[in-house]
Amino acid sequence: MRRTGFLYDQQYLLHDTGPYHPERAERLMAIHQGLKRTGLLPQLISVPARRAELRWIRTTHSDAYIRRFEERCLAGHRTLDCEDNQMCPETWEAALMAAGGVMEAARMLMAGEIDNAFCAVRPPGHHAENGEAMGFCYFNNVAIAARYLQQELGIERVGIIDFDVHHGNGTQHSFEEDPTVFYYSIHQHPSFTYPGTGREFETGKGAGRGFTKNSPILPGQSDDVYQLMLEQDLLPAFASFKPQVIIASTGFDAHKDDEMADMRLTDEGYAWIMRTIVAMADRHCEGRLLSVLEGGYALERLPELGAAHVRILLETPSDGAPTIP
Amino acid sequence: MFVSRSMTRKVVTVSPDISLSEVQERMKTHNIRHLPVVANDDRLVGIVTDRDIRSAMPLPLIKGQDDPESLQRFARLTVADVMTPDPMTISPAHTLQDALLLIQEKRVGAFPVVDQNGKLTGIISVRDLLRAFINVLGIGQPGTLLCILVEEKVGQMKRIVDAITEEGISCGSILVARYWEKDKRAVFPYLLTNNVIRIKQRLRDAGFTLLDPMQWYLDQLPKNE
Repeated sequence: MRRTGFLYDQQYLLHDTGPYHPERAERLMAIHQGLKRTGLLPQLISVPARRAELRWIRTTHSDAYIRRFEERCLAGHRTLDCEDNQMCPETWEAALMAAGGVMEAARMLMAGEIDNAFCAVRPPGHHAENGEAMGFCYFNNVAIAARYLQQELGIERVGIIDFDVHHGNGTQHSFEEDPTVFYYSIHQHPSFTYPGTGREFETGKGAGRGFTKNSPILPGQSDDVYQLMLEQDLLPAFASFKPQVIIASTGFDAHKDDEMADMRLTDEGYAWIMRTIVAMADRHCEGRLLSVLEGGYALERLPELGAAHVRILLETPSDGAPTIP
Repeated sequence: MFVSRSMTRKVVTVSPDISLSEVQERMKTHNIRHLPVVANDDRLVGIVTDRDIRSAMPLPLIKGQDDPESLQRFARLTVADVMTPDPMTISPAHTLQDALLLIQEKRVGAFPVVDQNGKLTGIISVRDLLRAFINVLGIGQPGTLLCILVEEKVGQMKRIVDAITEEGISCGSILVARYWEKDKRAVFPYLLTNNVIRIKQRLRDAGFTLLDPMQWYLDQLPKNE
């Protein structure tokens, strides 16, 4: 069994998006419940949420944006930049603790205190742009953690795999000119769903050309298409990039029971994806893997999806986890 | 909605007496395929396209063969030899719809834009129209597209828009596709939000059918194809 870290904090539940919003505290509570009920929780190493220092937030977001978020949030405004982004006065602290928690998981990973981790955070991050909140996201947790790994923990190459049903525009834009971070995303085709980016021809810019890859999937597709695209697009890309750490932007919203989009992944499909990512981490970077929660809104499905996800993180090849040659 | 607002104003032109290789060079530099041909007095006398030039090329040159005779023959040709004289033009006061329909009907890629005094003021190409329609579709902004099947009767659009408004969602665009199914239309609202669970449910509760995205189509092929 691996030493798998688990990040979860009460502060993440205080980010209140109002009565009707799908990105709600119950999502994390459902995941937590699932881990508790299946007896997985005691097998995990607790990752304490910490408050990110602003200098790390600044690796990814502009000063003007950080100030605007803080001021509007603490002054009691209910939205930031767009109606989608509902907040409350606790949102600022929750966003700092989400980014800082993922950073702490990265630190523990590199200190050898854990082998991998699942970070059950909110608010999510992959839509957050340098200067704009978007799609329920305020700080780009994954992008900030990648910069922290590079600038503080001695890592050169970070591979990001985003399998939320939506394209992670914020993460892509953070690294599209940077050949040291490979951003791969598989998502519902942008002509059918938010945010309208992540087309096949978006492959990076300047020095970063060739270090961004997108696999847009047509609506209604299921496990077989995901498997095909990951084998065809992701595996060879990471085999030549050779990441030293893999960060997964994990979204459970491509599940067939999730109403947010039109994808038809089953529980088995999600398990296959995660096993493949774990095997890639074993193959390329001694298993170093951080899974960071993005979307996933089917409250009745999240307990089992979260539990299965964590079970796979705990598995070693000797427990039957697959390997990639 | 006028051609004057969407046309390219900085027109690259050529005079009738220059060589074709020079025209090719200019097309390459500016990444364009249509050059209006103007005489000394700034009067439009023709248009020359990359296709005109390719058609005028001797076969050995197209094949990349070293053939001095063909090369010489090609080098002697000027714009006046290959251009379309007195081309179809459009006025800046025409609308984008005029330009769309004309481009479809005349099967050309661009129209020189000529004002009432006969002066060349711009050029409008398929590329300019595409840019305008990307803007109209709103797809430069993040959002989610839905497709709603509605009966063809008055008041349906209002019910859809009311539902969207009551959910506090902004619209990037709404397209309506005709010729869908008898007495039905497909309405495509492009919603500037990530948050579509409630609006989808609300539309279903109101009796609308949300179409499976794989069944969407905006267009039918012309009957003769």
